[in-house]
Order: sequence, then C-alpha cells, then structure tokens
Amino acid sequence: MSYVEATPLGARARRRRILGRRFLRRPAAVVSLGIVVGAIGAAVLARWVAPYAPGETDFDAILASPSREHLLGTDELGRDTLSRIIWGARASIQAGFFATMLAMALAVPIGLIAGYYRGWLDTVIARVTDVLLAFPFLILAVGLAAILGPSLLNATLALGIAAVPPLVRIARGEALALREEDYVRAAVANGANDAVIIGRHIVPNMASTLLVQATLTIPAAIIGEAVLSFLGLGVQPPTPSWGVMLNAAQSYLGEAPSLAVYPGLAIVIVALAFNLLGDGLRDVLDPKTER
Amino acid sequence: MGVFILRKVGAALIVVFLASVLVFVGVRAIPGDPALALAAENRDPEVLAAIREKYGLDEPIPIQYVRWVGLAVQGDLGTDNRGLPVAETIVTRIPLTLELAGLALLIGTVLGIGAGVIAAVRRGKPSDYAATTVALLGLSVPHFWLGLLMIIVFAVNLNWLPAGGYVSFREDPIGNLEHMLMPAIVLGAGLSAVLMRQMRSAMLESLGADYVRTARAKGLTEWSVVGKHALRNSLITVTTVIGLQLGALISGAVITEQIFGIAGFGRLTVDSIAQRDYPLIQGVVLVAAVGYVVVNLLVDLAYSVINPRIRVSGASN
Repeated sequence: MSYVEATPLGARARRRRILGRRFLRRPAAVVSLGIVVGAIGAAVLARWVAPYAPGETDFDAILASPSREHLLGTDELGRDTLSRIIWGARASIQAGFFATMLAMALAVPIGLIAGYYRGWLDTVIARVTDVLLAFPFLILAVGLAAILGPSLLNATLALGIAAVPPLVRIARGEALALREEDYVRAAVANGANDAVIIGRHIVPNMASTLLVQATLTIPAAIIGEAVLSFLGLGVQPPTPSWGVMLNAAQSYLGEAPSLAVYPGLAIVIVALAFNLLGDGLRDVLDPKTER
Repeated sequence: MGVFILRKVGAALIVVFLASVLVFVGVRAIPGDPALALAAENRDPEVLAAIREKYGLDEPIPIQYVRWVGLAVQGDLGTDNRGLPVAETIVTRIPLTLELAGLALLIGTVLGIGAGVIAAVRRGKPSDYAATTVALLGLSVPHFWLGLLMIIVFAVNLNWLPAGGYVSFREDPIGNLEHMLMPAIVLGAGLSAVLMRQMRSAMLESLGADYVRTARAKGLTEWSVVGKHALRNSLITVTTVIGLQLGALISGAVITEQIFGIAGFGRLTVDSIAQRDYPLIQGVVLVAAVGYVVVNLLVDLAYSVINPRIRVSGASN
C-alpha cells in the first residue's frame, strides 16, 4: 500500500478539473494551444492539406506574387510557397519533438541519479554539466551537426544532445529537493526500495516541471533546426524546411522579398505559440512561480 | 579575494582542458582518414606513410594530443588544408567579430536598460505595454530572419544601408559604421529584449523596496530616487544577465556574419565546417572555447567587485 494510492480517485479528477479551468482562464495559452495543434495537424496531414506537392513546379508562375492559384506566391522554380511552408512544418515539428524527447530521455535519468544518489557521481555529473552549460545551445548544436554531417536526423540528434545540459540541471535540482520531502522519508521508513521511491514518489512529482521544460525546449529546437538548415547543416534542398526556404530566399531579396517573409513568420508564430503555451502551463501547474 | 580568484582561474583551466580534449577527440571521431584527405589523389601507400609520419598520425592519440597542445600553447595551431597557418587566419578574423559583438553589446545594453527603466517607471501605461510586447517579439524572432527583413527594408527598398560586406575602420570610418549598423542591431536585438525584461522586473522590485520609500520620504526628487537608488541596485542583477548573454552573442555572431557577408570569426567557423577542414575546425573551436572561458572568468571577477556578497559566499563553499 503506497501513499499515492491513499489519495481518493475523486480528488484526482477534481484536481484535473481545477487545472483545466485554470488553463481556460488564460486566453494567450488557449490560443497558443490552438496554433500548436494546428501546426502539428498541418505537418501530419501535409499530403491532404497542402494545395500542391512540395516539389511541384509551375514554370508559368516563377517568383509569382500571391494569386488565387498560389495564395502566398511561388519561388524561383515556380513552387507554391504555402505548400512548401506546410510541408516544411514536418521538419520543424519533427526536429522540435524528437530532439526534445531525446534530450528528456538522456537528461532525466542522469539528473535523477545525480540528485537522488548524490555522492561522487553527482559531483562528476554536476561539474560536466557546468562545463557544457558554458557553451551556448546553438554553438553546441552547430558543432555536433558538423561532426555528424548534414541531414535532418543528424540535426535533430545534435539539437537533442545540445539541449541535455540545462535539463540535467533541472532534473537534478528537482530530485535533490524531492528526496528531502516528508512523504519520501515516510516511504523509506515503510521499507520502500529506491525503485519504488523514484518511480512512485519522485518522478510523478517532477512531471509537471518536466512537462513545462519540454514545452519550452521544443521552440528552441524548432528555431535551432531552422538555423542549422539555414546554415546548410540540417535539411538539404530540395526537401522543404523553413530554414532551407529562407536560405534560398536570400538570393531573391530584391525581386521577391515575400519569399523571405512567410517562412520566417511561420517560425515566429509556432515558436511564440510553444513559448506562451509553456508559460501558461507553468502558471497552471505551479502557481507559486506565477509572475 | 586572492583565494576566490585562484579558485575561479583553476576552474577555468579545467574547462579549457576538458574542451581541448573534447575538440581533439571529436575531430578524430569524424569518419575519414586525414592522411587520405591530405594526399588528395595520390593513393601510394608510401606517400600516405610519409604523410602520417610527418603529421604524427601514426602515433597513439594521447601522444598526438600532447604534441598538439604543446604547439598550441606556443601559438602554433598547425596549417589548414590549403597550407595556411591556422593561428594567423584566426587572428585576422577575430577583430571583425569583436567589433560586431562590441557594437551589438552597446546597442543591446543601452536599448534594453533604457526600455526596462521606462517600462518599470510607467508600469501599466501604454509605453510599458509597448516595450513589453516588443521585447516578447524580440525573444521569439530568430536573428537570421530579422537580418533578412532588415536587408529587405533598409538595403533593398530604402537603399539607406549596404546589404552586406565589410570596410575596415581605418580605411573608411563612416563606411565601416554603415556596414556594421544593421548587423549590430540584428545581433543586439535579442540581448536588448532579454535585458529589458530583466531590467523591468529588477526595477519594479527596487522601486517597491524600503530604501526607495525612505528616499522618497526624505523628500528626494523622483529623478534621484529612480536614477540613484533604484537604478543602481537593479544594475547588479542586470550585470549578471549581460555576462550570461555573452555566449548567446557569440553564437548569434556566427549567423549574423553569415547573413551580412562579414568575413569574421563566425563566418570562419561555418566555412571551416562546410569545407571539412579539420585542422581549422580544431583551431577555431579551441579558440572559441578559450575565449568563452576567459570572458566568463572576467564576468565572474567583475561581478564579485560589483557585488561583494558573492565573494563571501563563493569563498565559503
């Protein structure tokens, strides 16, 4: 019999309802959630949502301005900008989610072990994290992408690994604080082993902090993917990605400035939505830190 | 104080050592035989063996590392794939990046602190909302897109500023500033957004503190309450943030130089990666790591001068 099960089920459902109501009271977070869902939907359903295939060329409409056929105009090969932005969402969303999942999968166990078991291992992990934190996220990602070679998969790996150090620090800090809680001591006194304590008491209580951090890591990874692709270290043309599109647009800033506007707008809107959603989740799940 | 400095310098040396090992091993982990790359078309085993011997590639990695570090300490980073000395190339590129980063720091600090103070003093008024909104946008807009937009508006449409390139300050001071203005604004924008938010919240905290109430009660003018008491105390927090943001400034410089065609250190980094020039990559990353550590060390030391409390707590643990 553990202490979590001692909570009546009705209380949990009630807590969920309170959290839901608190979330709905934040218009910025609700709108952001809508945008995030929309972007994920567009990425997944690109085949059906996008008016054209990403590589489909229309040589009668090269660098065309917006029209009924091409709502956001076309690029230097007559490819539909709107369609390429929708298809490009795939690279961004993939990089954002998978990099964040990779970072979490690496950082949470490392942080847990360091914070829960302490000792020399903790000292080593904390020092190494400090060293890596000294390097900016994008510099780490650029360096890793350079070593791995340019591709979406490698860019995602690089972004995921580069995002590990700050997450280790957060997971470690949470584990350090939670292991001192009374209910953990009670579980120890009850004879629970480490696996039970970590699995039932520490991890569930870190979950909301980690969820917020994940929501804030995704936009950083999305912008990171765009930067790597822009520098030629990520997605390779002709595959569409917002960074690739902006790189190509550089050559036509005079003739077709809109080519450089729309993909960037897509990055900003999606990144801003994830950031505001993360802020909203933090306010809802952890009212103490509300500013 | 002496112990504090020694401790910080020691930690910095360890970071530099770890970074150099990481760079060295990382570059060697890249698939491909450097001897083959150097021999180009020549696949004659004897030539390859001669190259390996000349560059010490036939020796164990730890010995290669010691040799590399020994030379690096003397300022010799070897030669790149085109046979040019790496150290010299880096030294000629750094001043451009320093100028860019310095101007960006200036613009970012002045704008960020100014806007933060105004927003805090006029809390809840339209100017506060305007500054807060612009800062939030500034945080979400990636450097490289802001750069492209500025080129479209100020170079292509209005024709006020050059779209890219670089002129040395000694040859043409005005031309130099014209070329540097847009890149510096692009690079400084993110910094000013971060600083504005920090400054606003630090000022709000200071303005609500007891010593500000005392200063007001003494009958001081609003100007001296805000300028002397609140601002000075808020600057302590903001100095740390500036220090933490210097790293972001370096990574931002890589992208900004790429967009505006400035042949600085950041551009060199990207080019060395694109050309897979491993001696150059190795040198560039090492110099960046050392530079980064030195800057962090200076920030730590400067901070301990500004805020004596850090010195005490830093020495005790």
